Amino acid sequence: MREEPPRLARRLLERALEDDPAGPAILGDLHEDFVRLARTRRLGAARRWYTREALVLAMGRGTHRLATRLFHSLTDPTSGESPMTGSTLLAGLAQDGAYATRTLRRTPGFALFTAAVIGLGVGAATAVFSVLKPLILAPLPFEAPGALVWVANAARPGATSLSAFTSRTSNLTDFRERARSFEGLTGYNAFFDQGAYTLTGDGEPERLVGAGVAADFLDVLGVRPLLGRDFTPDEGVWDGPRAVMLTHGFWVRRFAADPGIVGRAITLNDEPWTVVGVLPASFDFSSIFSPGVSVDFLLPWPIAPETDRQGNTTFMIGRLRPGVSPKAAQDELDAIVAALQEEQPRRWGLGAKVDPLQAHIAGPFRPALLLLAAAAGTLLLIVCVNVSNLILARAPGRAREVAVRKALGASRGRLVRQLLLETLAIAVAGAALGSVLAWGATHLVAGNAASRIPLLSGVRVDGAALLFATGVAVVTGLLVGLVPALQVAEGGEATVLRSGGRGASASRSARRMRETLVIAEVTLACVLLVAGGLLVRSFRAVLDVDLGFDPAHLVAWQLNPGVDFQSNLERTDFYAALADRVAAVPGVEHVGFVDASPLGRNRTWGFRVADRPEAEDAPGFSLFPHMVDPGYLPAMGIPLVAGRDFTRDDLEDSEPVVLINETGARRAFPGEEAVGRRILQNDEVRTIVGVVKDVHHLSPELPPGTEVYFPWTQMPDFGTLDMVVRSALPDARTATAVSAVLREIDPSMPTREFWTMESRVDRAVSARRFTLGILGAFGAAALLLAGLGIYGVLAHSVAERTPEIGIRMALGASAEGVVWSVLGRTLALATVGIGAGVVLSLVGGRLVASLLFGVRATDPATYVGMGLVLLLIAGAAGALPALRAARTTGIRALRAE
Amino acid sequence: MPKVGEFELLVLMSILRQEDAPYANRVRDDLEENAERRVTRGALYRTIDRLAEKGFLRWEMEPSEVPERGGHPMRRLLVTERGREAVRQARDVLLDYFRGLGPRLDEA
Repeated sequence: MREEPPRLARRLLERALEDDPAGPAILGDLHEDFVRLARTRRLGAARRWYTREALVLAMGRGTHRLATRLFHSLTDPTSGESPMTGSTLLAGLAQDGAYATRTLRRTPGFALFTAAVIGLGVGAATAVFSVLKPLILAPLPFEAPGALVWVANAARPGATSLSAFTSRTSNLTDFRERARSFEGLTGYNAFFDQGAYTLTGDGEPERLVGAGVAADFLDVLGVRPLLGRDFTPDEGVWDGPRAVMLTHGFWVRRFAADPGIVGRAITLNDEPWTVVGVLPASFDFSSIFSPGVSVDFLLPWPIAPETDRQGNTTFMIGRLRPGVSPKAAQDELDAIVAALQEEQPRRWGLGAKVDPLQAHIAGPFRPALLLLAAAAGTLLLIVCVNVSNLILARAPGRAREVAVRKALGASRGRLVRQLLLETLAIAVAGAALGSVLAWGATHLVAGNAASRIPLLSGVRVDGAALLFATGVAVVTGLLVGLVPALQVAEGGEATVLRSGGRGASASRSARRMRETLVIAEVTLACVLLVAGGLLVRSFRAVLDVDLGFDPAHLVAWQLNPGVDFQSNLERTDFYAALADRVAAVPGVEHVGFVDASPLGRNRTWGFRVADRPEAEDAPGFSLFPHMVDPGYLPAMGIPLVAGRDFTRDDLEDSEPVVLINETGARRAFPGEEAVGRRILQNDEVRTIVGVVKDVHHLSPELPPGTEVYFPWTQMPDFGTLDMVVRSALPDARTATAVSAVLREIDPSMPTREFWTMESRVDRAVSARRFTLGILGAFGAAALLLAGLGIYGVLAHSVAERTPEIGIRMALGASAEGVVWSVLGRTLALATVGIGAGVVLSLVGGRLVASLLFGVRATDPATYVGMGLVLLLIAGAAGALPALRAARTTGIRALRAE
Repeated sequence: MPKVGEFELLVLMSILRQEDAPYANRVRDDLEENAERRVTRGALYRTIDRLAEKGFLRWEMEPSEVPERGGHPMRRLLVTERGREAVRQARDVLLDYFRGLGPRLDEA
């Protein structure tokens, strides 16, 4: 056994004893005892003992020697050390630091409270920084992400449907061939969530989501598989070898991170697929490209004529050649598009819009995130003002101390330094607290997996965030320490000393200063509250939107039976029988089927109005198609406005029929009756038999577009079906009972994949809820700080004015009069602050305007409401000092003297 | 002559008791075993420094061949004449004082 003391502890001690003449002997003494201890007891215990001893010695000897040297240099000017050498400067700092700690320890309440306030501000700023970092500040987790661009289709302005932005795969083929701007151009199937894969084999059957990507997708992004290999070109052709690449999360969850899975086959939809690789944890496809939709594996998406026929399906991602700007790439693609259109006049769906990838991903969330950053900055300002105020409140008391030290010969620089150190010490404590707060907040945020905001799952407080927190805290400390420190600069210690420690001479200007700060605080709080209030009203407006269906008590399943249907009739019969079984479950009221339930997928088809002379050349309309069964509309609670619903008599060979929504009817048949009219869809004429109410299909915030419902018997073009069940029972009980029935019918059908419609609505408003939650917390903190600020100033001024109030009351002033004078002062301060806040909010309204829904940035109700809230808080904060003032008696006033 | 404190006195006496091995670790063991004092390392070193400042002791480094010291030298502590005088004085004062106390200390 080697009897060596712990290296780190020994080094530390060596450093501490570096210029101690007895140092080597002391090290030897300790070593000797250590060896003795190691022989009589266990080595581990001896090492622990050594570390402890070394730490105590290093600290004790170190500070003792420093203090001794300092003492010598102060008392013995001939000691040879000039006062400005590094070591004395350091010694002075150490002394000031010790002094600052002592001062703070004497007033622990003040120190703790101030640190808590700073911690609040630093925490808020750090949390927002952490959220902003992956999305806006940090590069995307790809190789040389600056060269990556997003190539969407050139959508008409105002277009909302996904397929207005996606491209046909022939575009990708042609761009790859002709464009010189790109090192690589790849793509993925934007509608991948419409496919469904059921994993069977080991364990319970599970419904999986696989994203189809071009074979060179990972290559262009610069992502290398953690295990196994990338897709090969022959896997990227139509009907090529079946290969999948597992996402890291799915690999860990389902296969317990078994590296042996690579090269084996898994069974998806009853067919074997070879696992060729596993993606690294750093590449989370869903959090970047499809937040809110989890992805379990990637599979090849063939860039081939077969996929081209499916229409606008693909999002393209390109890697620019070195030196090529996105603008240059855009110009080149524009030229290519024009040339292609000329060569092939009948070609449709051509277009290209190039954006840097990062801007594309973060773009929609930029306004919200910038607002949060501004809000965090405002909160931090409030914190600064608040802490300045707290420090100023102590200033008169400290003025005497400062004056004494100054009279004894302390230099101005030294005094300023010492006061700054004090606030810095508090700020550092605040940074520690703030980091903890930020850690908690980001933990909450990252856990919010259902959110539609990209890259949220990667949010955490890392080294950069801690550095940021420290930086913010130091700047805050310097800012707030500056005001009292500068006051030191003024002379007049004699006056202060003469005035008996009350510092009365300085009090008037100090009070004015503090009142100004309180006004600033109220102003900033008002700005935050107004922004928060506007967002709350927007959020309520979004929730109040009539979705067109009733999401309560609705549970939905995506069905994927392991049955091979020979015809569409067989399929619909199977589902109709299934619906009957589910409908027999006690409590179930309606059962319906749809291939695309609301607030889920996005797609469009085109149609024209039939029987119109101009029908041939008319631009046509785009519609959002739904394939439904007769039970769907009743189950969703979508009311029929005119005509009739589908029935079980609308069969494959009967007259082709459709239902259209009100918006569609208005657009296609303005001022006319839609029922009975006919439309042309995909060269087939269909009669409109009914008009239904609009449904907000994409988002509660977007106006409904044209929606057309097709009977599932006549339109077999659907992949999977969602079953919606309306029941009087609680959702969880409905889910259990219906799942049991589904398993009875087909044991291989995954039944854990269900969702409540209310959770869908929740997800649709998740980004808004996220912004609102953070801003709300900031607003509440601002309100609290403003209240505390007002309270602090008034309490202090009442305490200062005790003699004056006492004399007034002795001379006959009434208690109410005193209360009102204090309250009046409070409300005056608050009113000025609110006024300024309202003006600032009106000016800064642009920042929130893009985030508002159903409310204007100048909404008077919000402004008035928030003003009242602030007045109320100000009144409450002023009430306590006011009452204290009213209890002042002459005796007490005299005693205060 | 500077005064000598109680612990300082004990340390000086202990060094004198060591004869051929007047080293800090021996002094510490001696004080703990025979003077029934709990002595922390830091306090002992500080006291030694102080005694050296007052001129009561001096020390010499001597290389050590003992493997347990990990190659570090030893510090031989030597009580100066001034130190001896201080101890003598303290002894005389104390003894005088005790004598003046008479049998009172041991009476019931």
